[in-house]
Amino acid sequence: MKTMVALAVTAAFVLAPALAQDKPAPPPAWKQGMPDKMKDSKLAPHAGKMTETPASDIPISKARLPKGFKAEVWASGLPGGRAMALSPDGKKVYVGTRAIGRVYEVSDEGGKRSVRVVVDKLTQPAGVAFHKDALYVFAIDKVLRFDGIADSSGAQPVDLTEKFNLPKEQHHNWKYVAFGPDGKLYVPFGAPCNICEPPKEYAQIRRYNADGSGMEVIARGVRNSVGFDWHPKTGQLWFTDHGRDWMGDNGPQDELNRLTKVGQNFGFPYCHANGIVDADFKKKDACKGVTRPVALMGPHAANMGVKFYTGKMFPAEYRNTMFVARKGSWNRTTPSGFDVVNVRIGEDGKATVRPFMTGFNESKDSYKFWGRPAYVQQMPDGALLVSDEQLGAIYRVSYGK
Amino acid sequence: MQARRRWAVLLTALFFGVAHGKHEQCLACHGPDGNSLTARIPSIAAQPRLFMENQLVLIREGLRPSPEMFPFVKDLTDAEIVALAKQISALPAKPTQSSPEDPALLKRGAELGRKLRCRSCHLPDYGGQNQIPRLAAQREDWLEPVMQEFRDKPRPGGDTLMAAVLYGVSDADIRALAHFLSRSSAPAPGR
Repeated sequence: MKTMVALAVTAAFVLAPALAQDKPAPPPAWKQGMPDKMKDSKLAPHAGKMTETPASDIPISKARLPKGFKAEVWASGLPGGRAMALSPDGKKVYVGTRAIGRVYEVSDEGGKRSVRVVVDKLTQPAGVAFHKDALYVFAIDKVLRFDGIADSSGAQPVDLTEKFNLPKEQHHNWKYVAFGPDGKLYVPFGAPCNICEPPKEYAQIRRYNADGSGMEVIARGVRNSVGFDWHPKTGQLWFTDHGRDWMGDNGPQDELNRLTKVGQNFGFPYCHANGIVDADFKKKDACKGVTRPVALMGPHAANMGVKFYTGKMFPAEYRNTMFVARKGSWNRTTPSGFDVVNVRIGEDGKATVRPFMTGFNESKDSYKFWGRPAYVQQMPDGALLVSDEQLGAIYRVSYGK
Repeated sequence: MQARRRWAVLLTALFFGVAHGKHEQCLACHGPDGNSLTARIPSIAAQPRLFMENQLVLIREGLRPSPEMFPFVKDLTDAEIVALAKQISALPAKPTQSSPEDPALLKRGAELGRKLRCRSCHLPDYGGQNQIPRLAAQREDWLEPVMQEFRDKPRPGGDTLMAAVLYGVSDADIRALAHFLSRSSAPAPGR
């Protein structure tokens, strides 16, 4: 089994010689590590939608929230929209995508929103972040900077690609990017597989100076992180990481991690979640020296965007707690995720996870979802935006009258 | 030759486009019932609805370069694409063979279909699902160059997983697969 996985990984991701005619072909990246007993499994990644969904076709009334909160469709017509970046003046939101290759700009025009495409034809431009007045866009193979974009719809990009030395594998290398309190740009490089011993450029989070210089690997053993934020008081980096597939319905669970020291190792590919040893890649003392997660975030739940809430609109108990969007599982016979959860960290450092925005999947036992929440963004008035990658929409969650 | 064929395709489609709605415009090239009668033009009947939507968007956005298709697709709105995909996915598929049957190729193709695990995404009847196309009863002279293209020139917007599956597969095996798939029974429409 191990040989088969290793073979598959080599063939798919390293420049292997042409396969001999009678050897089995590499399975697609998302099937690597699948045990023989699951080879007839019908589980497969859910299809995305690349066309606009009119606001009138979005069943937002099915979303459930704690008492006193409400959700409305804030913007629609952004197929594939996921990570959001707020302009410094708080008036425009920039939204990255994957397959459709676009970055959107959503302008709030007193009660209604307009959407335009800022740039298109890119290879999965999922990462968007502001540094002063400049919007950074990270595609898998390209980095663009749009100076002063929020004030000028004609802003032309500066191509920074060469400065960032992006490795070539595409799988799990779409980005979430953000500038930290230290003014540095944080960029994840996922493992280019479900499970493998990846080349040294992958399975890590790096930070750079804003111009792409001064690269430093700050976390290793990170399978696929596409969401992080810094604690408003401690300034520490918290990030989600997706657990591997094909080790059964119940795990290994996604992780919520905290970086307390530069260079920490989070375990991939040998040690997952709270000390689960990998089924395919074995190593002596697999979990030795591995930083354990602060919280387990559900099996296959696809934990995505993370934000600490610092606004004043929500009740005080939400201050400095964290919202995490869980886009929802595919590699599991029954659904997990498809919601936004609220994570509170106690005095003892322990985290409690509770549901916040639910109702996106309409059955406990089967996949009947209408939306897939991917990212959260706090607005200047304290409302919380939630992007829905499935329907290409952004919802606004508010509290009170 | 290539240029002349392109012009012929354009003119035919424009003629039909003026006379009829957009749905008919597609059928001018892709066959009167969505089952292509023309070499190197694919059948689109009974393709999964989402696959059709996605491909039309990818061509319109320039992520899937197609000089033949682009003029027809470039001004389509999302709503028009959704409507077109719905109409076309409901058309029944028919076999469209373009070469004499070769039992050895057929056998080799069937083996490869299992070995390369094509059936896990394209389903055991090769009818496709959601974003994944129907291969059964597709034109052989379309499947062959498309698989070669996936193998040799993966493009932005193209499925990197598909490129990985075909990595290192020989021309002869691609021919056998195309031969076999084109002769697999046409599945029912409506996926």
